[in-house]
Amino acid sequence: MILAALLMVVQVAAQDPRLERLDPGTRSAVSAVVDSARGDGLPVEPLIQRALEGATKGAPGARIVAAVRRLTVDLGAARLALGTNASAAELEAGVAALRAGATPEILAHLRDLRRPPLTMALSVLADLVASGVPADSAAAAVLALAPHARDADLVEFRRAVERDIALGAPPGAATSIRVNAGAENVFSGTGTNPGTVPRPRRP
Amino acid sequence: MGIERVESSDAELVRRVRAGDIGAYGALVSRYRDRLGRYAVHMIGDHEDAEEALQDSFVRAYRSLARCYDPARFGAWLYGILVNRCRTTGARAARRHRMFVRDADALNGAAHGDQADRVEWTDAIERALARLAPEYREAFLLKHVEDLEYEAIAELTGAGVSALKMRVKRAREQLQLYLREAEHV
Amino acid sequence: MFERADDVVERVIQHLRRPVAIDPGLDARVLREIAQAPPTNRRGWPLWSALAAAAVLGAILIARPWSRDETNRSDLLQFVFVAPQAASVSLVGDFNDWDPARSPMQTAQGVWATAVRLAPGRYRYAFLVNGVDWRADPGAPTARDDEFGTASSVVTVGGRGS
Repeated sequence: MILAALLMVVQVAAQDPRLERLDPGTRSAVSAVVDSARGDGLPVEPLIQRALEGATKGAPGARIVAAVRRLTVDLGAARLALGTNASAAELEAGVAALRAGATPEILAHLRDLRRPPLTMALSVLADLVASGVPADSAAAAVLALAPHARDADLVEFRRAVERDIALGAPPGAATSIRVNAGAENVFSGTGTNPGTVPRPRRP
Repeated sequence: MGIERVESSDAELVRRVRAGDIGAYGALVSRYRDRLGRYAVHMIGDHEDAEEALQDSFVRAYRSLARCYDPARFGAWLYGILVNRCRTTGARAARRHRMFVRDADALNGAAHGDQADRVEWTDAIERALARLAPEYREAFLLKHVEDLEYEAIAELTGAGVSALKMRVKRAREQLQLYLREAEHV
Repeated sequence: MFERADDVVERVIQHLRRPVAIDPGLDARVLREIAQAPPTNRRGWPLWSALAAAAVLGAILIARPWSRDETNRSDLLQFVFVAPQAASVSLVGDFNDWDPARSPMQTAQGVWATAVRLAPGRYRYAFLVNGVDWRADPGAPTARDDEFGTASSVVTVGGRGS
């Protein structure tokens, strides 16, 4: 009894003060999920941010707790695919890629192809899908560019595809044509020859 | 019409930028981006190169804002920077976008009907514009598309009014010729 | 069908006068670039104005990187939102605990802007207009997982060659 009370005190003391914006019931449930994730070695900051997003947006407590639980599960899946050395930022980008429709195998393949950090590559994959590019096309494009493209190149690639889509191109076609153009003219792998590196777009 | 002496807020915005309010420069960028962007796209031909020229012009203008001696005519001054920047971009770059439109159509199956006509017409205009000498294209766009007076164009380009009139006339004749040729291909 | 020469040129002109799609992110890129390099103190540009620019930016910087495990480099990002009728706009996101009080945006003629320094990572964010109206950033990728019923956007800060 005393031990249980003591544990409760310790748990309350360990709660992130930012979670005080949640109502007590939601706060308690979210804290439990956060503690469990911490115990599993998962990054907890994304979980806290998701809970705070829900609180600021006035979402019901049950929806906030469900969102945080779902994110915990997905962070675990991303870590399984990307490996235990993956950073918090990589895991969160990995979650976005998985939710966009990339398979764990694609994430693992990307990890094998590209030197870390993988954050931008994963993020670009997810953003392309959000722009309407089919998940398999987006994955194929990112995997094709991954070995040699710099992060800035990947961002420029995504912008170019988005611009083509905005101008009326079918998303899948826009992606494959940009990849082919990149393979021929842009991402030739040297990364140092001004003739082959894409003109850097201003940041 | 021409580049108007726009409302005093241009001068006010320039004053605020000079006092360190970067957000005020955002308002100026927002105000001029679409119109200047259209000129850059048509002048350079390649969309990405044009956006780069536009972005570069806005940054150059900011960095040399101390030399904008008549802030109420900020727009005209900015136009001059863009016209120069477009000139230095040189010959029209590889037409990645136009190639892309064709490829996309091919992937989609042949475009048909009105859409095909529209694509063909757009393509024909781009090709015809690209064939014009840069000084003809520049004068034609500034006069007829951007709707500037010859005196304003002379100020921007450094060319005399009579020379500009001749360039516009030649541009019109050549465009007509090139488009007639395209119709018969 | 016969068409007069002037009519052909007139059709060209009308075609060329149509609006051209410009990347909506261009404004933010311009502001970000100039925020990183204030104008030089030449030809009468007062030094104090450059200092004032730095002070304005400094006052709205929020540096609370949480992805410290990747690299220590961070980027100063300028967020811009156009809302001419708004009385207030706040930037809220994963980088400021979704707290509207942390990043109020400054306005000039309806263009709202603020700068935030971000470490490498993927961040969700949105604009809160007049304290009640949630808006995604039209110039940025949309977050797919809008579990709370309002759209958010995504910005990614890379750690390699970006």
